[in-house]
Amino acid sequence: MSEIRISGGAVHDPANDIDGEIRDVCLKDGRVVDEVGPDARLIDARGMVVMPGGVDIHAHIAGPKVNAARKLTPDERRDHPVDRTAALRSGTSGLVPSTFTTGYRYSLLGYTTVVEAAAPPLAARHVLSELRDTPMIDKAFLILMGNNQVLFELIREAGGAVSAQLRDAVAWWLEATGGYGVKLVNPGGVELWKQNNGNVHSLDDDVAGFEVTPRQVLEAIGGAVDELGLPHPVHVHANNLGVPGNAGTTLETMRTLAGRQAHFAHLQFHAYGGKPGGLPRSRAPELLDYLSAHPELTADVGQVMFGPAVTMTADGPVAAMLRDLGAEEWFNHDTEVETGCGIVPYRYRASNYVHALQWGIGLELFLLGRDPWQVMLSTDHPNGGSFLSYPKLIRLLMDRAFREDQIGRANQRAIRRTALLDGLDREYSLNEIAIITRAAPARRLGLRDKGHLGVGADADVTIYHDRADREEMFATPRYVIKAGEVVVEEGELRLIDDGVLLSSHAGFDPEVVHVLAPLFGERYTVAFEHYPVRDPALREPARVVEARS
Amino acid sequence: MTDVGPVTCAGCGLLCDDVTVEASSDRVRLRPECPLGTQWFSERLLAPADAPAATIDGEPADLESALARAAEVLRGARRPLLHGFEAATVEDARAAVALADRLGALVSTGGVAGAPAVAVRGASTATLGEIRDRSRLVVIWREDPETTHPRLLERLGFGGGEPERTLVVVDDRETATARRADAHLRWARDRDLDALTSLHVLQRGLALRPGDLEAGLRALVELLDAVPHATFVYGAGLTAGAGGQRRALALHELVRGLCRERHTVTLELPGTPGTRSADDVLAWQSGYGGNVDFASGHPELVTATRWFDDVDVTLRVAPGPTGSLLAGPGAEVWIRTAGAGVEASGTMHRLDGVPLTLQAPRPDDAPTAAAVMTRLLAEVER
Repeated sequence: MSEIRISGGAVHDPANDIDGEIRDVCLKDGRVVDEVGPDARLIDARGMVVMPGGVDIHAHIAGPKVNAARKLTPDERRDHPVDRTAALRSGTSGLVPSTFTTGYRYSLLGYTTVVEAAAPPLAARHVLSELRDTPMIDKAFLILMGNNQVLFELIREAGGAVSAQLRDAVAWWLEATGGYGVKLVNPGGVELWKQNNGNVHSLDDDVAGFEVTPRQVLEAIGGAVDELGLPHPVHVHANNLGVPGNAGTTLETMRTLAGRQAHFAHLQFHAYGGKPGGLPRSRAPELLDYLSAHPELTADVGQVMFGPAVTMTADGPVAAMLRDLGAEEWFNHDTEVETGCGIVPYRYRASNYVHALQWGIGLELFLLGRDPWQVMLSTDHPNGGSFLSYPKLIRLLMDRAFREDQIGRANQRAIRRTALLDGLDREYSLNEIAIITRAAPARRLGLRDKGHLGVGADADVTIYHDRADREEMFATPRYVIKAGEVVVEEGELRLIDDGVLLSSHAGFDPEVVHVLAPLFGERYTVAFEHYPVRDPALREPARVVEARS
Repeated sequence: MTDVGPVTCAGCGLLCDDVTVEASSDRVRLRPECPLGTQWFSERLLAPADAPAATIDGEPADLESALARAAEVLRGARRPLLHGFEAATVEDARAAVALADRLGALVSTGGVAGAPAVAVRGASTATLGEIRDRSRLVVIWREDPETTHPRLLERLGFGGGEPERTLVVVDDRETATARRADAHLRWARDRDLDALTSLHVLQRGLALRPGDLEAGLRALVELLDAVPHATFVYGAGLTAGAGGQRRALALHELVRGLCRERHTVTLELPGTPGTRSADDVLAWQSGYGGNVDFASGHPELVTATRWFDDVDVTLRVAPGPTGSLLAGPGAEVWIRTAGAGVEASGTMHRLDGVPLTLQAPRPDDAPTAAAVMTRLLAEVER
């Protein structure tokens, strides 16, 4: 493997308290090292900005839901062809890129690690097959557990408490699928949607047929993940997404999980005041106040960007709500025992009150938040907009004049209902950008070798021209280094890296299979012994991150 | 070989993974019984062991010569087409699409030629377990799964006692499936579009122009009105041929309308067991399902059959006894491939999208179709 010295750049490595210091970064054998030999390749980074590779904590890039979205939207992709070259596979870009193109485009933006945030465990083989065809990035996926009938049974039997069986079951499921973490999506609500178009509306609603409530699911599975010491805490898509007034549910969900580690996905979609059926308003400040008082909780924003998007979610009833707003295309898929799926192509318009409010709430979460380690960058790709819009979002955060120009173009009635006109002059520093796009996501994912440039860290590094136009700067890194090799130079892919799968592992009592097998037999149409993914071609190469306990 | 199992059977798109196979030198038995599965395993387990590794223009050849000849033909091809995928695994399809990308070839996964209906309005779908556990009404539209997917009804809970469920078959043929139906609605295929749009009108509570279909349609709407969850099973019987896209669109539009009052889903019966896997792989690698053309250096969705008019070399991607066959001007190369599910393991996507592992109860040294495609890619690039 090559040795590289990145010399003379302004290094932004907030995890190691380095804020723009001019210093060298040395790389050898895929790691950051103290020193390299005289023959090391020298990258002259004078006048440039050096950061760890980007880490996306929440995106939708692979699996049956993403692939259904591709089939649903061929017209959207027709204008975004990607030609094959001697080294690169062809594909299509746009809002839901094909797999190879997804990897290429993330790499060209300086990202080196991405988390697929919602995978049905039953579809693990499909998710793994797609991730294998997604090069250039290390990748992990979170498995959906918030509407799992088998887990409902275990939670009910334990009266809502965290039982040893439940802990073992969660650990077994991660082992069986190669998943990295646990995702809860609208706990209880998706099961009711699949029964008869129902949903839950509060944390104490009964999930018919199972005698559990969303609150019990949150407490039991959130508690199990916490007690297992998984590297990433429970990742929550709360109930009532998108519904005016849902901030109350979100706060109640935070209170339910407080005291345990938890991550809240796309908080913007859960930060609305008002009443169901009425016009929403912003309650972002209250959520931020709660987060400030609870450092054990974190969130990503789920910023919406004006323009086209494709909403895709395990939250089936949310997609039906968008369908009923007049969507042309609507796709629904129900996965037995485990989860649902809804897809609706969408467009956020600056002139639309609700869309402008959503945009404004996202910016409020970024700009009013006190601790960037707690509120991370995401667009919930492609729900709020494509990951390709991250450079523009970064400019909105770093460039007040640009932001005010954009605010001026949005629906003013909505903007007046946010804090954006209250002299909000905050501009993110490069270090704060480094926190919300790499250091904080890596730390929250429990990836100790990522998101920083200390000795021993993965040699994933992005080097940018220090340009006044921050959108241009972050759209075209000068160099991207992945696992110690230069993979991107000046907007061109130079080397193909396959990336590795990131999985987690927690010990469990193997006897749990005797509890699970009969529950599987009653419910699944796949034999219990055929459920776990064992094929090395699907599970490797992988890096397994051990649980703490 | 004595009893093996449970293993996954790829005899049809159901990919039943609870199958025990009992094989002697001249006979195969399956538990649970299934004529299609028995035939599928028989073709693979009872095949003569002395088949050549390959043939070139009908003459036995070794694998290396066959690969070299096939690569030569592919390099000279003006308009190659990769097709088949009848029993293809995900791994086979990945390697085939990679080859097609490099060649600038057409790929046909056996899906419907012409623009797919799903891309117009979407669809509502579910896995088998969802339908079994929740649907009290299943409408099978011009398909005969008792013949093509023999265990479908069993796997959807029919014949298993409580709770009661109703089977409706729309077909003007007297099929094995129709004989099991609680209601058999008969009209000619050319009335399907009329029937589907009329159902849409009726379920919205609007008046229907009187006609000969009215009584049957009203009966069906009454059955739908009585259940909280319903399923429509369809396939090429609805979507193939002229007007297929319009008929499929009408079905999805009807289902979307029905969803307002009850949870309603569809289940598509694929043309072959490998169709779903190949289509999914093509979609994630190219962005498009169905049929894709890589000739311009990037994927383009094929929307009409005339795109196939000037094909000069075809490569049929087929694991198992049929092998992979390349046919071009003045050349025919056949390569024996290990059959996924008997001679080699692999991954396939069930008709409802659920991915499953195929086991290899009788491993064989022959290359898989994936390995053949990967070798061809290396030869072509050399």
